[in-house]
Parts: sequence; C-alpha cells; structure tokens
Amino acid sequence: MLQRILPFLTLIALAAALALATPHFLTGMNLASLFRQTAVINIMALGVTLVIVAGGIDLSVGSMMALASLLGCMAMERGSGIAVGILAGVAAGAAFGLANGVIITRMKLNPFIVTLGALGIYRGLALMISGGVPVHGLPKEFSYLGEGAVAGVPFVLILLAACGCAVHFLLVRTRMGRYAFAIGSNPGAAFYAGIPVAFHTTAVYALCGLMTGLAGMVESSRLMTAQPTSGQGYELQAIAAVVIGGGSLRGGEGSAAGTLVGAMIMGLLSNGSDLLGISPYLQQAIIGAVIILAVFLDELRKRRMGEAR
Amino acid sequence: MVLRLTGMQKRFGGVQALVKGDLEVCAGEVHLLLGENGAGKSTLVKIAAGMIRPDGGEIVWQGRRVLFRNPAEAQRAGIAMVHQESLLAQHLTVAENVWLGREPSNGWGVLRRGAIESATRRLIEEHGFPLRPEWRVDRLGPAGRQLVEICRAVAHQANLLIFDEPTSALSDRESSEVLRIVRDLKLRGLAVIYITHRMSELRAAGDRATVLRDGSTVFTAPMKEAGDDELIRHMAGREAEGVFTRTPLPPGKELLRVEGLSRRGVLEDINLSVRAGEIVGIAGLMGSGRTELCRALFGAEPAGAGRILVDGRPVQIDTPRKAVEAGIALAPEDRQSHGLAAGRPVGENITLPSIERFSPGGVIDLGRERAETNWIAGRLRLKASSLDQEAGRLSGGNQQKAVIAKWVMRGARVFLFDEPSRGIDIGAKREVFEMMDELARQGAAVLMVSSEMQELTGIADRILVMKDGRIAAELPRHASQEQILSAATMGGAV
Repeated sequence: MLQRILPFLTLIALAAALALATPHFLTGMNLASLFRQTAVINIMALGVTLVIVAGGIDLSVGSMMALASLLGCMAMERGSGIAVGILAGVAAGAAFGLANGVIITRMKLNPFIVTLGALGIYRGLALMISGGVPVHGLPKEFSYLGEGAVAGVPFVLILLAACGCAVHFLLVRTRMGRYAFAIGSNPGAAFYAGIPVAFHTTAVYALCGLMTGLAGMVESSRLMTAQPTSGQGYELQAIAAVVIGGGSLRGGEGSAAGTLVGAMIMGLLSNGSDLLGISPYLQQAIIGAVIILAVFLDELRKRRMGEAR
Repeated sequence: MVLRLTGMQKRFGGVQALVKGDLEVCAGEVHLLLGENGAGKSTLVKIAAGMIRPDGGEIVWQGRRVLFRNPAEAQRAGIAMVHQESLLAQHLTVAENVWLGREPSNGWGVLRRGAIESATRRLIEEHGFPLRPEWRVDRLGPAGRQLVEICRAVAHQANLLIFDEPTSALSDRESSEVLRIVRDLKLRGLAVIYITHRMSELRAAGDRATVLRDGSTVFTAPMKEAGDDELIRHMAGREAEGVFTRTPLPPGKELLRVEGLSRRGVLEDINLSVRAGEIVGIAGLMGSGRTELCRALFGAEPAGAGRILVDGRPVQIDTPRKAVEAGIALAPEDRQSHGLAAGRPVGENITLPSIERFSPGGVIDLGRERAETNWIAGRLRLKASSLDQEAGRLSGGNQQKAVIAKWVMRGARVFLFDEPSRGIDIGAKREVFEMMDELARQGAAVLMVSSEMQELTGIADRILVMKDGRIAAELPRHASQEQILSAATMGGAV
C-alpha cells in the first residue's frame, strides 16, 4: 500500500522541500506558470496512459502534436474562427491516433515499430505542409486557451482537471476502461472472453490522439504560433510521467491520478532546479535518474509480492 | 546416501514455505517428491540446488556438511536442476547450450566449435537423446529443451539431477521419452529427485517417495510398499475421498449439435450431440484433436467446414465473441494465458464477458456489478481474500472456480472444459467436478476433455474417444480404462 501511494508522497515531499528551500516557489505567479508549462505534457500523458494501460505504446505523440496543431492553426490563419480551429486540431489528432490504431490492429504489427514509423511520418508531413515555417497571425483571443484565467485560476488548470477526471472516469467506471485493463493485462484472456479486442485497442489510440491534438492547441495558444518542430521529445516525457505514476509498460496498470502526479513530479523537478539555479543540463540527468528510481521501486514491490506467492 | 536434508526451514514474507523439510536421496535411485501445490516441494529442491538460502536446517552432500550460496556452487559440487520452464539461450545451438559457461577454448578465448559439437555428439549417442548438436534451441519443443537441459547436466558430470515437474508441458509420448532417460541415468548410478503431479508417472519412474505437506515431511517409503491411496492420504492430510462419481440425470433437450465439423489436417468429420444435464467426456492421446475440437467449437481456431447448432439453432462461430453470444463457454487448459487476466482483480475477471449487462450506455453500475459478483462467488464457494484480490494470486482450484463463475455470470448453457483438473490440488479437484455436476443439474450441457481416464470414467455420462482428428469410438459410462486406451490407440471397435 505504502508503495502504491509513494508517488503522491514524493510529490508532497518535493513541494514541501521546495517551499522551504526558496521563497519564490510558493508564489501565485510561479505556480501559475508551473501549471501552464506542464499542462501540455500532462494532457498528452493522460492520453498515453490509456494506450499504456491497454498494453500498447505511442511514440508518435510528439510529432503528432506538431502536425495536429499546425492543421488547426492553419485553419484559424485562414479565418475559420477560433472554435473551429481548435476542433480541427483536436479532430486531426484523433484521426492520426485512429490511423496508428488501425495499422497496429489490422496489420497486426508491434505498436513500438508502428508508432516509431509514425513519429517520422507526422514530423515529415508537418515540415512539408508548413514549408518548415511557423504559422503566425493567429487571432488574439486564441491565447485564452493557454494563458487565460478564471477568477485567478489558470484556464489550462481547469482544462487539465477536466481531462484528468474524464480519463479517470473512463478507466474506472466505463466498459471501455475495463476492457483496456483486461486487454493490457492478458490479451489472450480478453479475446477468449469474447471482447472485441481490435476495436477497443484502436479506440484507445484514437483517444490518445484526440488528447494529443488538444495538447497541441494549448501549446500553440501559449506561444501564439504553430511550429512544425514543436513537441520533439515530448513523447518520452509523457511516457515517463505514466511510468513514474505507476503505469507498467507491460500493460494492465496505470491511472489518471498516477500519471498527473508523475507529470507534476517532473514539472516540479525542472521548476525547482530553475528556481535554485541548477544547470538545465543537469536537470535532464536528474529527471532521468528519477525515472529509473521510480521503476525500480515499483519492481521491488512486485518482486516482493511475487516471492510471497 | 548422497544427499541428506534435515529440518530445512524457509520463510517468504508472511508465508512459512518450509517448516521441517527432510529428504534423503541415495545414488542409483529415483526419489519422488510429492505433495499438493504450496506444500514446499519446489522450495526444498531449490535449496538443494543453491537457488534459495534456507533459514535453518542442515544439508549434507556426499558426507560433508555444505551450504551452497548460488546455483554455480551447487553445480560445481555435482547437483543440477532441470527446470519447469526452460532456462536456455534460445538463439544458440544444442551444443552451445550444453557447454555454455564452460566452453573449451584455446588460450586466446577463441571457441573451438568443432570440439563442442563432437563432445555433444558423443553424449547424445551414448544416451540416445533424439537431438542433434547443431540444432537451434528455439526450434525445439518443450520436450527437446528439457532433453538439452538433461544433456547439459550430464555433460557437467552431475551426480544428482533434480526434475521439477518435467513432464507437465509434455505429451504422453514425450513424457515417456523423458522417463526412459531418467531410468537410464539411474542405472548409471546417478541420484534423481523427481517432482510430479501425474499419478501415472509415480509407478513408472519412482523407487522411493517422500511426501511433503504444509512445509513438513510427513511420509517417506519405498514405492513398492506405498499404495496410491496411502500416498494421496498423506498429501491431502485426510482420508482419500476417492474420485468423484456422479449420478447421471435423465438428459433433457439437445443443447449442442455438431455436424461434419472439419478443419484441414486437424479435425475430420466430427459429429456429436450433448443434451441439457449431460456431461460428455472426450478422451484421446495428445495430438488426437481434443483441444482443437474445443477451440473450434469456441471459435478460437474456427473450423473450415461443418455446422454447429446451439439449442436447435445453427450458429456461425468464427470468433470467441460469436461463441460467447451463442451461450458457449470455454474453461481453457492454460488458465494463465487464456483463462484469466492474472494481474486484475478477481471480480473484474468474473464480469469481463458480461460487463455489457452492467453498463448500459457504457458506464458501469459498480454497485450492481459488485452485488452480483459477490453472489456468484459465494454460490461457487470461491475463496479469495476479497474480490479485489489479483486473480493470479488465487490457488489453482480457485482460479478454475473464477473461470467457471465468469461463464455462469454470462449465462452460458454449453460448457467446454479442457483439462479441468490440470494444476489443481487433489482436494480442489473434487470440488471442481462437483461444480461441473451442479452445472449439468441446472440444465447446462457439458463437454469435458481430459487425459486422466479415472476422471472421465467417474464423471462422464458417455465418453467419445478421438484419434487422428476423428471420433473413433463412443463408450458408455463406466467404460474400463483399457477400453478407452485401446480405442485411443487403435481406433474403431466400439
């Protein structure tokens, strides 16, 4: 039990330590900027959680995000209106995720390989349609998505909370979530139970794509531009958040709350390092070490349970 | 006497796996180690093989007191273990595996491939292993891999060989090959410790037996002096209840009818019918098409030709989903890979095929799900610490009950059981059979595949014997084991 809530305890301890170490941490401005910075990875990681729970992996989300946000922003640049532009970006993400899922289930290929290929394809397409140039000229009001606030609370935080609740509800309370866990835990048993495995696997990738598209629109709104090169390496941060939060790359394990905590731990580490003046080069190494440590602790728990059997 | 273990103790977390494990093994004997799952057999032999450090007790090996710190030390002393799951390098050849870690090489670390192969060939010829040195291990079946492990132990000049359920994954013919080699090693003066659950192997292989129960040694005797009933009594710790025998019912209407079911090279023109309240047994040797018939009826490997009728209506079954919708259930032979999602809670496993009933519109009514799952688990006397316990942590018998509960919950009416008692304690076997009987009494049609002829003759109302993908004979209730065996090997002659 202790080890299951370990990520939560780590997060609290980390926040407490930072609050003690520097007066700049617990300020409204720092916290707001922390949430704004991490929201993109957080939303993306929630989508990746679904895929990982179902025993898959999606390495393409970083470049998928760039391509989806580029499409949404190009629509806005051509005067589609803000709402339609955002919807276009989200729908594009869902379509790319669906494509990943269809290829994986219909062609019966390893998701690691398929999404590794897709990573290159989406990036290449993004560079092609933009000619390598960022999209500017977005309507001013678009910035509300990433930078706005409701009664002092950053709008992205509300959006993130809503996404977190939705993914939690999906995993815990719906048929689709139940099937995702079953497929991830044992695809053979799921197939033998009469579950339409291919359909639900595809659906999970499509949902992951949808959230990736949303993350892309948030990123564009914050920067007021869509870059064909955005999101590089985000896929690894998203996967790391899932894993730190207790998800297993073997499938069948993971939770929305865990992923959010995992993403927040990484966000705090990088925010804290900034505040304490630790070199950004070293930050990357620290986060890498935390990933290994988190998985090691999780393995210890499982090994102990396995031995007692 | 080559090995004596006295008063071995071992604790894992909160579980006392060994309380007082005693074992004496002599050179030139096959010593059987018997006991229910969890009795401590594997722990005891792993201590002897240096894989587990005991908390207490004394190990005497060839007259000297020893304590092996790791498997390598035990191997150097002459103790080798053949594992349940093979521990070989998949991409290397037989010869390379046999010499792995002790490769003869010239002074520069360059391997002498020719020397390895010829040494292996000599060994293989001497013992009559059906292997070749240059074969790659990943192309071998489970039996072949086991032979490679035995070959490896012999090459390393082991004096004691430990087999932990070597034949549980093997066919009858492969098992007898392994047993032949075990007997040959014994005649060469090696000591053998042999763990098995198969009663038929006891007499074929063993010279002496030691029975463990709840972590302690409770009985040891030469096999000549120990009767089957006596051994079972010591294993279970109570009077042998014998095999469950069912009183048949007057059969009801036909629930399952199969006409001309065929699948190229596997099943040929299968015709059968099972009525409500009936239990029909399927016998046959490994590879006769028994499991394939179950898988075809369940849509896991659809048949190419033929008709399946459930409750009088023809159904097209090409996926398990169609079978489940038609009311067919399968309790597969391999529960770990096809029966249960081991890492998920028992409760979720039980409602997996029927979750649609609890989730109109896709959202699960958790309260109703829990209430109905509790009710079914109680009815089947499923013992779990709670419905949130991981399914993989249940005992074999309770896992089988969870599989049955899953299909009862779904409202299945045709039950296919593939080796229902495999991997289950003797005490729990009886309960599983009672449950099958109960299903039939409530109007289900039951088809049961089993390799244990005693089980078939005790439970089935009639027995279909398969051979080469066909139903070779239909035998009545209480047919003799000789009748079944002759139909399975010779075919025909009802």
